[in-house]
Amino acid sequence: MVAQGRIVWVSGPAVRADGMSEAKMYETVSVGDAKLIGEVIRLTGDVAFIQVYESTSGLKPGEPVIGTGNPLSVLLGPGIIGQIYDGIQRPLKELSKKSGSFIGRGITTTPVDMTKKYHFIPTVNVGDKVQAGNILGTVKETDLIDHKIMVPPDYTGGKITKIVSEGDYDLETEIATAEKDGKSTILKMYHKWPVRKPRPYQKRYDPTIPLLTGQRVIDTFFPLAKGGTGSIPGAFGTGKTVTLHQIAKWADSQVVVYIGCGERGNEMTEVLVEFPELKDPRTGKPLMERTVLVANTSNMPVAAREASIYTGVTIAEYYRDMGMDVVLVADSTSRWAEALREMSGRLEEMPAEEGYPSYLASRLAEFYERAGRVRALGSPERDGSVSLVGAVSPSGGDFTEPVTTHTMRFIKTFWALDAKLAYSRHYPSINWMNSYSGYLADIAKWWSENVSDEWFNIRNEAYSVLQREDTLKEIVRLLGPEALPDEEKLILEVARMIKIGLLQQNSFDDVDTYCSPEKQFKLMKLLVDFYKDGQQALKDGASLVDIRAMSVIGSILKARMEVKDNEMDKLDQIGQIMREQFKSITGVKVSN
Amino acid sequence: MSKQGGVQYNKIAEIKGPLVIVDDVENAAFDELVEIQTSDGEKRLGKVLEVGNGKAIVQVFEGTTGLSIAGTQAKFVGKVMDLPVSEQLLGRVFDGLGKPKDGLPDPIADKFLDINGEPMNPEQREYPRDFIQTGVSVIDGMLTLVRGQKLPIFSGSGMSHNILAAQIARQASVVGTSDEFAVVFAAIGVQYSESEYFRRSLEESGALKRSVLFLNLADDPAIERIITPRVALTAAEYLAYDLGMHVLVILTDMTNYAEALREISAAREEVPGRKGYPGYLYTDLSTIYERAGRLQGKKGSVTQMPILSMPSDDITHPIPDLTGYITEGQIVLGRDLFRQGIYPPVNILMSLSRIMKDGIGEGKTRADHQEISNQNYDAYSRAQEVRALAGIVGKAGLTGVDLKYLEFGDDFEKKFLSQDLDENRTIEETLALQWDAVSLLPKNELTKVKDKFIDQYYKER
Amino acid sequence: MTSDPKLERTIDKILNQTEVENLSSLKKSFKESLEILSKSQTSLEQEYDRIIDEGKKEAQKIEKQIIGGSDLESRNKQILLVEDSVQKVFEKAIEKIRSTNRDDKYSKLMAFLLAESTNALGTTDVIVYTNSKDKEIVQPLLSKFPDAEFSSDTIDCLGGVEVKSKDGTMTFNNTIDARVDRMKPLIRKDIAKKFGIGH
Repeated sequence: MVAQGRIVWVSGPAVRADGMSEAKMYETVSVGDAKLIGEVIRLTGDVAFIQVYESTSGLKPGEPVIGTGNPLSVLLGPGIIGQIYDGIQRPLKELSKKSGSFIGRGITTTPVDMTKKYHFIPTVNVGDKVQAGNILGTVKETDLIDHKIMVPPDYTGGKITKIVSEGDYDLETEIATAEKDGKSTILKMYHKWPVRKPRPYQKRYDPTIPLLTGQRVIDTFFPLAKGGTGSIPGAFGTGKTVTLHQIAKWADSQVVVYIGCGERGNEMTEVLVEFPELKDPRTGKPLMERTVLVANTSNMPVAAREASIYTGVTIAEYYRDMGMDVVLVADSTSRWAEALREMSGRLEEMPAEEGYPSYLASRLAEFYERAGRVRALGSPERDGSVSLVGAVSPSGGDFTEPVTTHTMRFIKTFWALDAKLAYSRHYPSINWMNSYSGYLADIAKWWSENVSDEWFNIRNEAYSVLQREDTLKEIVRLLGPEALPDEEKLILEVARMIKIGLLQQNSFDDVDTYCSPEKQFKLMKLLVDFYKDGQQALKDGASLVDIRAMSVIGSILKARMEVKDNEMDKLDQIGQIMREQFKSITGVKVSN
Repeated sequence: MSKQGGVQYNKIAEIKGPLVIVDDVENAAFDELVEIQTSDGEKRLGKVLEVGNGKAIVQVFEGTTGLSIAGTQAKFVGKVMDLPVSEQLLGRVFDGLGKPKDGLPDPIADKFLDINGEPMNPEQREYPRDFIQTGVSVIDGMLTLVRGQKLPIFSGSGMSHNILAAQIARQASVVGTSDEFAVVFAAIGVQYSESEYFRRSLEESGALKRSVLFLNLADDPAIERIITPRVALTAAEYLAYDLGMHVLVILTDMTNYAEALREISAAREEVPGRKGYPGYLYTDLSTIYERAGRLQGKKGSVTQMPILSMPSDDITHPIPDLTGYITEGQIVLGRDLFRQGIYPPVNILMSLSRIMKDGIGEGKTRADHQEISNQNYDAYSRAQEVRALAGIVGKAGLTGVDLKYLEFGDDFEKKFLSQDLDENRTIEETLALQWDAVSLLPKNELTKVKDKFIDQYYKER
Repeated sequence: MTSDPKLERTIDKILNQTEVENLSSLKKSFKESLEILSKSQTSLEQEYDRIIDEGKKEAQKIEKQIIGGSDLESRNKQILLVEDSVQKVFEKAIEKIRSTNRDDKYSKLMAFLLAESTNALGTTDVIVYTNSKDKEIVQPLLSKFPDAEFSSDTIDCLGGVEVKSKDGTMTFNNTIDARVDRMKPLIRKDIAKKFGIGH
């Protein structure tokens, strides 16, 4: 029995309906004659409070509200990759076929093409015992994605009584039947899962593998681990979106879920235009073949913004369960929090700080808790991860506002964007003194095994130059640079070189946009060597003027743009020239 | 809507601020247009903000002055507010609600469009890529405007934002095309003299016949300001997507818009966000700014240049702050430069054009455009640091290179940034000025440009 | 006069020298004046060019303004002309409606308007107003609405009904005037189309 009620009150995205005693919390409902999609968020007597995911313009008291009996769910199966969805998994391309350039209302459509045939290769046989999470077979979703067809996580287990042979099938085909205690269950290539319920797994691991993004300041100084959580807060104009796009483009994960939550329409368009053109540096395939977009732009209905985060993370977990590394980028969690605030205000709940509801912190915690590197359910054994990166848009760039402060409690990597750096066109404008990563020690082993055992030490030496510069800057501000002895002036000089030659990265430069771990290390080493050799040269009687005049400095600073990933020997050559130039200004042999 | 609209109700429960609360309402829809009739027969317009349990909260655009509980009637019209649109909008002057203000009759409609518009499907957007030459060096060179972009001017009271906007409206052109161009100007609570300056500027350049003006002046009703940008954008969308024109929309001053919104929110006794502005200010502003863009399969475009005056020149104030999060960059005017008499007084370090990168480069402007612009940013930022330092330690405490940067800063402001009101520079002239400026610096300071461009354009001064 | 060759020579010499000096200074000043002349000529030319140039700019500006302005003016005249015609058509149409026969068809129309009004108000507990002409037609129709009351007061309109709830809180104006008013923008568009204006 589904609820059948009547609208009694409308205000923006909030609707109250009576006659709803049959309705369940978080059930989706059809609202009004226009059949808008809504979700029950509070029940009082027979009155249901509903947030509507579409514009309520023209809705009248007296119009019907009909329950669906189901919570807000996503459809999980092949065909998701490469799509752009709205906040409740309606494909925007299909919507445009029905309502043109602008988003119409009351349109229903399936999230994936149910009639498209996929080549299914079964991996189980009749008689096999299966349980939740077991892989039944695979289909090729895109060139990059071998999509595992899994037994839904809520299935209690049974024996396969029927399985189709290898061949082309659409999503509605009954590919297998499983039986338990005489009860037979039909399995298809898809299943549905409620978005607000985390998908289960066997166990969690500590994050020890870095999520490489090709961005030097991230990978080298403030790394994120696979299955980890990171946050990137910044005032407008600090390059938040560009940095997030860079992570989505270059992160070494198999799947990327990008959620545009209350942000600009053109940013989603940019991804749609750019990603099919860009090639994954590891596979050479278009990036769109591993990307899913969820778009609730700022002018789209506010309630669907709240849902978009859950829609995105559920899709991410689904691919994680196949044994893949997934990175989810949410831009911006502040807009999601504002959507919560708006609904809370309409519910007339008691507000906490800055009008946000008191449950803001717990909602944020729940979201970030869905990150992790896990052993998936079922067999064969497989590990996957969901890494979560959430942007925060603090009002006025003030990091003490509620969304930023609460987020900081639940994440381990913090990339603080700095308006001052952005104003001086230092991009990415990640402030190296305010940012931190809680994964540094955990992932150092990976660098030492895969790149160089010197990595951890060199990284710390480079960072200490930046730290010392930060204290020296105070003195310079008061007395001018000439007040410092040469050794300290050298620190200023090298810090400047680290900033220009290593921390800064031009996302729009073909070479500089992505930097391999090897190149990151070699560039960093070159700069640290320059510092050490420079110190020695000063001791050996060279002057700072001589050091500043070394022509190799230009080559070092431009190496990030001029040296390609497959030309590492060029960096060695620059190192050689550097040593020779140091030699010539001191006349003394310097360390090799 | 289930029942036909058009019923007139006369049981007014309450009048407060810009709101009228009508009782015993059985037949009204959310967002519906309302005609309020005063006891002496005057008609005003409003819309439904909230409806239910026999009550409707109506926001009256022209204000509630002179309304009484007895004698006031509210007719729920049965549709949302729409604007009659046709080619005849061009060359016309309307008030802030879209009613003729030039003595001519209502334009004969081709269509009636919902003034709220509908959200563009991001999948159907065409990514902005066409360079608009404004003839203003600092914009073309370092803050390039692109068709379909929303690029606001953040200003302060008394500064030259309107003069700059008018110059852009006069000069803006897309090099190498003959597509039709139009200007939609929305005055939101500005003084008569400012709106008149703009009108005259369009008239003198012969552009008035391809312009539409919507004027809500300082002494016009404040709540009307909620509607003015929306009718203006509705007109712009029609010109762009139905008639294929490239439309530049100038909205001035968005601060007055946000204040009107705050007034309504306060009257509804909503929980306020920062500085008393409603928590949904961001969402609300985005329903205006996101109406800029281009669409697949449509020839025209809507480019927005909203102007807002920052209260106390504070860029962290909620209005510029939330605007900056939605728009694709910002042009910030600097009080210091303005005081020095520099026009246009653009503070380039705080300014940004996000989609500049897609509108410039080889085949659009020139291959070195991005890099030379980066170099100028870098050098100007360094020059500012050196200026600050020189203020403390004096010029004597500066290195030789630092002194070069000082010289660069002055040269940049005087020759590149400064420009006459009627000076329309080509992009080639602009780029040459950028190279001229950095040519004051030693070659090895140019770390943002590739060597091949240095070889081609750098001439040490 | 005595002739003193020495003196004469001296005088000659001085004279000569003066002459040379004079000559050269003359030449110099001539040259200078030439220079000044040529200089002033260039600056004159420049000034002349500048004036012409500015004049041109101004002329172009005025030209643009005049062309733009006159385009606009003629367009606006056209708008007024069309509006005039539209008004005339309207007036004729209204005249026609006013003189419509109160026949069976008209009575059906009234029944429809009544039903629509009570439906919009959501009640039949109403008072119905008409003009004096329609009184006889509408009053019998009320037999279908037992709660409805017919007002003896008449209203000034072309035809149709105005329906008020008995408690006085709601009114639905379904007179022909109100309907024409609601439809006016659409009708204007149709009329204008007949004149070949619009789309």
